[in-house]
This record gives sequence, structure tokens and C-alpha cells, in this order.
Amino acid sequence: MADILALGIDIGSTTVKIVGVGAQGKATWHLLEATQPRAGEQVERILQIAAEQAGALDGVPLVATGYGRRLAPGAARQVTEISCHARGIFREFGHGGTLVDIGGQDSKVIAINGEGRVLDFVMNDKCAAGTGRFLENMANRLQVPLERLGQEALSTLEEAPISSTCTVFAESEVVSLIAQGAPLASILRGLHRSLIKRIAAMIRALGLTPPLILSGGVAQNPAVPRLLEEETGEKVILPRHPQLVGAHGAALIALEMVKKEGK
Amino acid sequence: MSAAGWLWYQCNVNLLGRGALRARRLLAERRAKSGSDWQSQCLAPPLNISPWTKELIARHYLEGRYAHLRRKVAWVTSGAPIEFLKALDYYVLYPENHGALCGTMRVVEDLAAEAEGAGYSRDLCSYARTDIGAALSGKTPVGKLPRPDLLLACTNICQTVLFWYRVLARHFGAPLVLIDTPFVYTRVEPHSVQFVKRQIEEAIEIAEKVAGRSLRAARLEQVAYLSRQAAQLWLTIIERCQHRPAPISVFDQFIQMAPVVEMRGEAYTVDFYAAMLREVDERIARGVGVVKNERKRLLWDNLPIWYRLRYLAEYLGRHGIAIVASTYTHAWGELADLIDTQDPLEGMARTYIYPILNRGAGDKLAKMKSMIEKYHLDGVILHSDRSCKPYSMGQIDQRDRLLRECKIPALLLEADHNDPRAFAEGQVASRLDAFIEMLEG
Amino acid sequence: MRDTRICMRSFEIRTDEMGGSLEGIEIPRRMEVIREYRQGGGSVAAVFPIHYPRPLLRAFGFLPVEVWGPPRAGGNWGEAHVQPYVCSIVRNALSFLGSGGLDAVDLLLVPHACDSLQGLGSILLDFVSPRQPTLTLYLPRGGRESDVAFLADELRAIYRRLEVIAGRSPSEKELMACIRRDEEADRLLSELHRQRLRLPLNDASFYRLARSREYLPAEKFCHIAQEALALADGDGRPGAPIILSGIVPEPMRLFEAIEQMGGFTAADDLACCGRRLYPAGSSQDPFRRMAQRIVHAPPDPTRGSPIGERVEHLLSLARATQARGVIFYEVKFCEPELFDLPLLRQALRQAGIPSLTLEVDIGDELSQAALTLLAAFFEMIG
Repeated sequence: MADILALGIDIGSTTVKIVGVGAQGKATWHLLEATQPRAGEQVERILQIAAEQAGALDGVPLVATGYGRRLAPGAARQVTEISCHARGIFREFGHGGTLVDIGGQDSKVIAINGEGRVLDFVMNDKCAAGTGRFLENMANRLQVPLERLGQEALSTLEEAPISSTCTVFAESEVVSLIAQGAPLASILRGLHRSLIKRIAAMIRALGLTPPLILSGGVAQNPAVPRLLEEETGEKVILPRHPQLVGAHGAALIALEMVKKEGK
Repeated sequence: MSAAGWLWYQCNVNLLGRGALRARRLLAERRAKSGSDWQSQCLAPPLNISPWTKELIARHYLEGRYAHLRRKVAWVTSGAPIEFLKALDYYVLYPENHGALCGTMRVVEDLAAEAEGAGYSRDLCSYARTDIGAALSGKTPVGKLPRPDLLLACTNICQTVLFWYRVLARHFGAPLVLIDTPFVYTRVEPHSVQFVKRQIEEAIEIAEKVAGRSLRAARLEQVAYLSRQAAQLWLTIIERCQHRPAPISVFDQFIQMAPVVEMRGEAYTVDFYAAMLREVDERIARGVGVVKNERKRLLWDNLPIWYRLRYLAEYLGRHGIAIVASTYTHAWGELADLIDTQDPLEGMARTYIYPILNRGAGDKLAKMKSMIEKYHLDGVILHSDRSCKPYSMGQIDQRDRLLRECKIPALLLEADHNDPRAFAEGQVASRLDAFIEMLEG
Repeated sequence: MRDTRICMRSFEIRTDEMGGSLEGIEIPRRMEVIREYRQGGGSVAAVFPIHYPRPLLRAFGFLPVEVWGPPRAGGNWGEAHVQPYVCSIVRNALSFLGSGGLDAVDLLLVPHACDSLQGLGSILLDFVSPRQPTLTLYLPRGGRESDVAFLADELRAIYRRLEVIAGRSPSEKELMACIRRDEEADRLLSELHRQRLRLPLNDASFYRLARSREYLPAEKFCHIAQEALALADGDGRPGAPIILSGIVPEPMRLFEAIEQMGGFTAADDLACCGRRLYPAGSSQDPFRRMAQRIVHAPPDPTRGSPIGERVEHLLSLARATQARGVIFYEVKFCEPELFDLPLLRQALRQAGIPSLTLEVDIGDELSQAALTLLAAFFEMIG
């Protein structure tokens, strides 16, 4: 059994994450799974596991976040990823900055002030070109395993130009690049560049206040922070567990609720 | 102007700049004569006057760079009445032409990103994004753009320009003069002409105040006369494309139209088009066609795709297809007869309320039909331009009518005049291929 | 008669989210209003956004009923005439027309609010050729004396067209009576906006009431507005006050979402509402008077208002309501709106007022992403 005083669950379009925290807000337990088609049932099962870990869930507040935050009916509150990521990041680093969260469904750039509050944020528009899904689709198309995507892209300095911003058009560009015999690695690098350019535009739109922090699953792809540094000229710092930041932030908000009630 | 300023201007523009540009032109002309550079199998080499166009454009921006040493600067929309500005000795800059230049030089992505970074949506006109990006960042392939002392927006091409110029007005803190030209749905209403005339009068007053001098009627007449001359020559030139094979294509027209747009009212512009006409006639006399082995002739509707001119010319040229006429390049010629040198104000009001973009979609269809006949055309490409709603709306019906009533193939080609990110080469190529099969079938 | 039924049904199915009972005030539904008006011998004019002279139409016996889209226009007729990069308001208007939604309307009026509505007017006149006479109205883009003079002339031209269509020539006196009645309706509408937080109505109800001006005869609207104003005795509402800016609050579910997230709309800068709080005119010439009212309305990019005026207007709304944020609720592809956004948001930021942009297609439901953005915004300002 773990020391769990509060829980946060982040139900994303790609993965579901749950984090338990102790009295000081330190993460004491977590679980991460790929999102399944029947996410509702999955969440229920995960919460059962959490109950076993915590002893019982009675009195352990839960905050849900992420794309599927409404799928956790037992949650005391639903809070957006934006606030949760900001909270999680502030807890880990103790300072604000500009946080980039590239998720599967959507990407956000969040300005966090010195007290950990959200000052402003932007999110990608409807189009998928600025999200993790973009790379995932292309990885499938090119038959490269997702976890090797970044390494492959960084294995070359050559970069095939991908100008289309639309996922559908970009795919047809990739097809014609393959037909022209462009090396796979350079196509991959070009695709990363296209994604990062979208993200950099969002950062510019918000205004960059250093440091630049990257969270979300895509942060594990080494090409993303590298190219983001190139594109912005700013060093990128990563949390220890980029995928868990949102769930951790949610758990911290839940913990605060306990403390407020306790008073 | 100070004596030092005068000297600095003379030195940079007239002594060094002009000389260097002239030398560059002469070199290019000599190279062109030897014909060694030209690679294309299917297209005739560029016109001999091409280096001259380049010289004119480069000199125009060079003068702009130092314009503040000598005169006031006005930024204007492409359809604006500029005769009175010229007559008041303004240096006149056309952000749309600058945008197009950035398009042909492939620097739009970079400039548009500056505007997008500042929050300007990608759904906005790509000329506007290019220009606002250039204004915000100071970046431009022409070196430096002079700050405007006056902004003149005329809505006869779109309402977009007004929003765009309001942004510029706030950015530069320059006065914005609006000439609002009521849209001509069916016919020109007398009260609309009076409204435009009154606004031109008001605009002149403001322009006089900013310039610190008064407009002289004789000078205005002279500028209007030169404007009209250039526009008439331009119309004559593009009408020469009725010949088979066509001596030049719309791609040549897109490039060579720069002076009639941005250097109207100048004697050297008239000289330039007189020379161009001579060369075009020479080509006709020698039986030279712009597309070797011309088999099919097309009409182009809407703005060019600036970053893919050569690609499209070659793609079609390989099949013996020449695009010989366009509603777009016609726009600057068909107004010639309306420019009235006797009553320039009334003439200006009538002229500037009447460009094709300020007339109804049915009128444009009628124009296309008459061009199909006049130029003996076999098909139409309607560029559905994401960035230009006034030009593009109505194209779906226009295409439909062309198919049904003229019985010729017509293609709606989705792209954007300046933003290469909205151009999907794979899709464009497959559409063109299918269209070519229809033309040949 | 058959035509009328089609029209009623269409309005009922597709656009009539409005109407119904609010705190005992009966707001007639759009289709009932149309039916009743026709039974009284009147005709109906369908009017596209944004600004137009209501009293001019009324003087000729036409009840103006506005068509903002509508959101649930059936079919994809619009796509057969306009490209996908044209906004959903214009696309839906065409679909609505094409699917019979306006069959029983006697007249169409297309004001020139933007390039897309220009295109709509032009396509209707030249290609679609609806059964009804189609009129257009060019709106000048400045606030100058010459703009008032031109607009007055433009309205005179419409008068002459209507004379031919309706076969009558209302006197100057009749025209002035219609104008005065309309000014009274707008005065009451402004009063409703001013007192909105004291009314026992949530956002959704308030906008059902305010937007009934889009189809009610002025005299009916006056009556309802007075009833509502008599109920004003509250003292504010709980939650985070925001200002809503944009074209049209569709889908109306937006207000529900704002309320769920702990906010409320304290004032608006919407094209269909706050930007049409027309002041009374001063001229004794009816045409000039109608023109003055439109030209001197609150700032609106579609009438060419400078960005500075818009900034001032938003800031004064924010000061008056102590709004904690501004939500720009935009219809995708709307150039007049999108051009001003960066400078408006920058000015608000400098004044310490956070803002959010949401882009929607008025035919779609609010997306998950839009709801997340809204929620995060209220978490931020809450």
C-alpha cells in the first residue's frame, strides 16, 4: 500500500495516467496505460487498482483532467489540462515560464507566472498538424515504430521540406518525397520541423518568457526538444516524467481541496 | 529638404544605384541575346525586355529606400486612384505588389510567420499577412520599405484592404484615407459615383496637407494622360494574344504588369510598354509562339499563384497548352477608356468604381465568355484562391455556366495566391492531368 | 398558402430556438410572429446580416425577419455555390434558401457587410435568382458626413425599388412614424442591455429576449421589453463577469457552458446585439435620419470602425461591468473580425484584461476542445 492522500487522473486521447500524492504533495504512486476504446470501463478499473493501493478511496479526493475528464464520475472536480499542467510544473521546478504541452489531441502553450498561476494560454486550432497525432500518423504511414521516430529524425542533418500544414496534404507530400527517393530520416526530420514550426508559432503568439518547459508524451521524443531549441533559440527543460505532469497537477489540486476542508 | 539630404539621395539613387541597375540590365540583355541560359524544351525564352522590367522594379524600390530624403511616401492599394498622389509628387508604394514580389521570391512563409506569431490568423489574406509580417519585422527582400506618411485604401478590390490598412495605420501612426467604392451589383448608380468623387476630393485635401503643397490641375491632367497611355498600351499588348500562336502567355503578363500597376502616371512606364509592344509584334511577325507547338489555349481567372508561375507554365507547356488571357491582367487595361483627362475627378470616380473585382459575379462570367470568343479559347482554369474571397466567390456557378453554355472544360483549382503552404502539389498535378485529358479528349 | 406552411415549418425546425416563456413574459416564437403578421395582411422580408433600416421595410408593410446562418440549415446546398473557405453564415444562408426555408418570404435583402455577404448577394442576383425580389444595400465604411449622405441616397434608391415592388409610396410622415417607433424599440433594447444584470434572467434567457428583436415587429418588442424591465430589481449575479465579442452567439449552448463554468455575460460586443444598439437620429429628413442611426452605431469592423475606437469601446464596457475577461467568439473565416483581434487583445492585455479566442462553425456543436478552452479560461480568471 502506498501513502495516498489525494489522486489525480489524466485521461488523454493516447494514454490514461493516474498519480497518487502524499501529505506533502510528493507523488507516491502512479499508473500509466494506453487509452482503450472503452475508456469509461478502463477508468473504472484503474480507480479500483488505486483503491487497493490507497487502502480505500473513501475520503481520498480525486481530480480528473484531460480530454476524457468527464469519464471519471467519482471525481470531486474536473479541471482542464491547462491548469493541471501548470500546477504540476510549478511543483516540480518551483518557478514559472513558458510551458509547451504537446498532446495527442491538442497542443497548448501556457504562460505560468512566478506563483504558478496561469497567465495566458493558446491552443492549436481544429487542424491536427500541430499535435502528437500528426507524428503518430506519419510514423504509421512510414512504418517506423513511434519510439524510434525521434532518433531516426536526428540521425541526419538533411531535411526534406514539408510545406503543407494540413495533415492530409503533408501525407501526400510525404508520398511524393518517397517517390522521389528522399531518404527516410530526412523526411522524418522534415515532418518534425513542420510540427515544431506550428508549435513555435503558438509560442510566438503568446510571447516567450523563459525558461521554456516541455511536457506531455511527445517530450520523450528526443527530436522534439532539440528542434524546439533550434527554432526558438531557447533552452528547453524537461520534467522527470513528462507524461505524468498533468495527473500530478490534478492530484495536487485534489490535495489542496483536502487541506481547505481540513481547516 | 536639406542640401545634405539632396546630395545623399542623388549619390545613392541617381549616381550609384541607377548606374548599377542599368549595368546589370545591360549585362542580362547581352546574356539573353546569346540565348545560352534558356533551358526549357517547350517554352520560348523570356522577352528581351525582361531585364528592363527588373531594372524598373529594382529602381522603384531603390527610390523608395531613400524616398524620405526628397518626398512624402504613400502606401496604396492596387486599385486606388493614385493620379493625384503622383501629381503631388508622392512616392507611391504598393504593399500588394511587394507581397507578390515576396511570393515570386519565395519568402512568404517567413514573413507570414511573423504576422501569424503576432496573432494574425492563417485564414487571413496571404498578401496582408506577408505585408503585416514585413511591417512588424522590418524584413523584406527589397532591403527596406519607407515608412508611410499617408495610407490610401480603396475598397474597389476588396474590403480586406480596409482592415489591413487599419492595422497599418495603428502600427505606423499614419493617417488613413479611405476611398469607399460601393459594390456594383448590377449597374453603377449615380449617387455611388458622386460618393466616390466626393471622397477623392476629400482625399486630395488631406494629401495636400500632408505633402504641404497644392495640387496643380495641369500636372494632374498630365499624370492622368500618362496613366491612360500606359493602360492603353497594356491593353493593346495583351490583346495581341488573340494571335495564334500567342506571342506571350499570362505568365509573362503577370510579371510584366508590375509597371502598369505600380508606376502608372510615369513617362518611363509608357516608354517601357511601347518597347514591349514592339517586341511582341516582332514575335508575331516571326511567328514565334510562347509555347512551342501551341495546341490548346486557355483562360486564367483570379490572381496568379505567384510561387508556382514557372511550374504551371512548364506543366501545361509540355502538353502544348498556353494560357493566353486572364481576367486579372485585363483589369488594368480595360479601365483605360474610362480615364478622362478632361475631367479627371469625375473620370477617376467612374474609373475606380468599375474594376472587375467591384462588379458582380455575373458580370465576370460575361467577361469570361467574351474573352473565350475573342481569344479563341479551349478551356478555363479558375484559380479558387483561398486568400481572395471577392474574386473567388461565384466561381462554382461561373464554372458550371461555362461548362453548360460554352461547352468547354473548366477547372476549379484550389490554391492560394501567396501562401505556398496552401498549395498541394500532388492534388494540383492530378487535377491538371485530368483537365488536360478532357481538353484533348 | 402552401408556401406559407413550408416557411413556418422551416423556421420552426431550423432557426427557432428562440421564443417561449421567460419569468412569465411570453416571447412569441418566430413562426407565430410571421403567421400573425401575414394574416394581418403584411408581407415578410428575409434580411441577412448585419445593418439595415428596419423602418424603411416596415413602412412598405414588410416585416424584417433576420437570417443569421441559420445554424441548423438543412442540406448542403450552400456547398454547391460557395467554396469551403467561405464562412458558415453565408454557406448556411444558401443552404437554408435552397432547402425551402425561405419559400414563403416575399423579399430578400442582402446588406453588404463584408466580402462574403457581397458574394452572397451577387450569387443570388446573378446565378441563383430566387423567386422573390432580391435587394442589396451597400453600407459605407466611414463615419464621415459623406458616408451619411451616401447612405441616405442608398436608402432613397431602396425606397424607389420598394415602391415598384409593393406598389405604394409611403409618405414622409408615415416613414417618420415608423422611424420613431423603431427608435423607441432600440432605446428599450439599450435599456435592457444596461439593466441586464438586474433582470431575473440568465444569459440564455436574456439573449432569447434581446434577439427577439431580430423578428418581432418593433411595437411588439417594445411591449415585451417594458414587461421585462419592470422585473428589474436584482442586484447583480454571482460568478465571473465576462464580455462576449464576435458576430453571433451560436450555438446558444455557449451560454450554458459559460454558466456551468462559473461565468456570466455582463456585456457584449456582438454584431447581432451590442453593435446594433442604434442611437436615435437627429435629422428631420427620414432617409438621413435612418442613415445617421446606422453610421453612428457602436463601433463595428464591418462598418469600417478604426481599431482604436473598438479598443475604447471594449475597455469602457469592461470598466462599466468590472469584467474579468473578454471572450472573442468568432465564426471561422470571418475576416472583419480576425484582422482586429491581435491589436484588440494586445490592448486588453495592456489593461490587465485577459482574453480568449474561440473559433466556431455555427452549424457545429461546441467542440470538446472549445469547451476545454472555455473551462481553462474560467479557471484562469476565476
